Amino acid sequence: MMENILEIKNLDKTFGKETVLKNINLSLKKNAVVSLLGASGSGKTTLLKIIAGLEHQNNGEIFLNGKEISNIKPQRRNIVYLYQEALLFPHLNAFENVAFGLRLRKTPEKDVKQKVMQMLEYLGMPNHATKMANQLSGGQRQRISFGRAMIIEPSLLLLDEPFGALDSTTRQKMQELFKELAKTMQLSALFVTHDLKEAIVMGDSIGKIMKGHLKQHSDLREFYEDEESGVKKEVEFWKQFIN
Amino acid sequence: MPTPKLKNVSRFLFVAIVTVPVVSGMVYAALYSLGIIGILNTEISSKAWQTVFFGKPFWSAIGFSLYISVVSMAISLAVALLISIKWQKNLRDGLLGTAIYFPLCFPGTVMAFFSFQMLSKSGFVSRLGFNMGWIEDLRVFPSWIHDAYGIGIIFTSVLLITPFFIILFSNLFKTENIASFQHLAKTFGASNRQILWKVTLPILLKRASVTIYLFTIFIMGSYEVPLLLGRQDPQMISVAIIQKIQRFNLNDIPQGYAMSILYVLLILSVVILLFFRNKNFFKTSAV
Repeated sequence: MMENILEIKNLDKTFGKETVLKNINLSLKKNAVVSLLGASGSGKTTLLKIIAGLEHQNNGEIFLNGKEISNIKPQRRNIVYLYQEALLFPHLNAFENVAFGLRLRKTPEKDVKQKVMQMLEYLGMPNHATKMANQLSGGQRQRISFGRAMIIEPSLLLLDEPFGALDSTTRQKMQELFKELAKTMQLSALFVTHDLKEAIVMGDSIGKIMKGHLKQHSDLREFYEDEESGVKKEVEFWKQFIN
Repeated sequence: MPTPKLKNVSRFLFVAIVTVPVVSGMVYAALYSLGIIGILNTEISSKAWQTVFFGKPFWSAIGFSLYISVVSMAISLAVALLISIKWQKNLRDGLLGTAIYFPLCFPGTVMAFFSFQMLSKSGFVSRLGFNMGWIEDLRVFPSWIHDAYGIGIIFTSVLLITPFFIILFSNLFKTENIASFQHLAKTFGASNRQILWKVTLPILLKRASVTIYLFTIFIMGSYEVPLLLGRQDPQMISVAIIQKIQRFNLNDIPQGYAMSILYVLLILSVVILLFFRNKNFFKTSAV
């Protein structure tokens, strides 16, 4: 059996009197992607921020590679959290954005150059190395953002609706790129989206957050069978145009 | 989008209100400095220009103005960054967010008098020091007003511009989404020190760079504060020019105009240099 890279046990989070997450249990296998579905305000982003260490849970435990990380600073978790916006540093060009994590780790200059150029080649953007963020398109910015995250080889990647701001064509291309990257670089990731189709396309398995509760499905078939997932309703909707 | 007619009206207004007066003033100053017009001028001469260009007073005034401006800006930026980063929450939600606008109501002259009352040999700080037993006599108190290092001018300039930069940085903190960049950098493993030096400061300073350059020029050309708190030598450039133009010796007037043109040309050269180094520099939407 494949080992879990991430385990969350009985996690609660409240803001004042409002309970945002209640008794959350989640597991993520190594080199797998779990899609997290949920409506706006359902607590998806809060959950990712807690895993990244940017928010703190009221109760519960988080394990990464079997070690509890609940009280460890975000800097020491080796978990990268990517926002919906690419958030490229505006004072750095594409090359330096990708090199950001390596420079923090004081990687030798020779290795930085080699690794960053390799990553830019891989992302299909070697000719954009000297461009600033405002000279890149939305899709290009998101590619650089992925490159910047993956070059430091994080244990876990948290993606908070990363393609939410892209047009449908670019979105589809980015989904394909991410699938390919996840496979080639053996990424473990939690992919948050409110788009049902995207959740199915991107995830090896799916979880759905509703009113602060998380229901995780072991595979896509189980997700399809669940009446609450909304997949059957979606299928029925499209069937009416076929019959 | 403005219609072509509205565009033409806007252009006309810009030329009428901005270009014509400035160019007219420059032409008048040039003609006066070259002896073509002016009550005591009798012939065309470059004597005023030679005196200004090869003499010490103009360049020492430029040097002193640059020194005052750079030091004032450095202190203001350091204080403004410290306050806007450390007290972000208070500036956003607390009383400080409103109170910070208060110092902007003071004109330069009032602030200069305030500094005089505070820092002169017979001022508040001196008297406090005397009563506390730190100094034996008020005359022993160091010269911070009308002094050679322009301490009073720097102090007043800092008081005048720091609140403006606190407001600017505080607003940039929100509009540039600095908190998200800081969180992102944290998950990449950046320490608090690295976040400050590699993320927060570069983004804020890059975004504010045009304003910083403009304020540096603005302080270089300030008049009331150095007039009230500065001394005869060294002088700041605006005071030096006005003294040449308005002094009893009418023969000095061409020199005053030559100094003013030379000063404008120097500032213009710097602005053009900045523009050619980065053509997006003065566009507010550019990153």
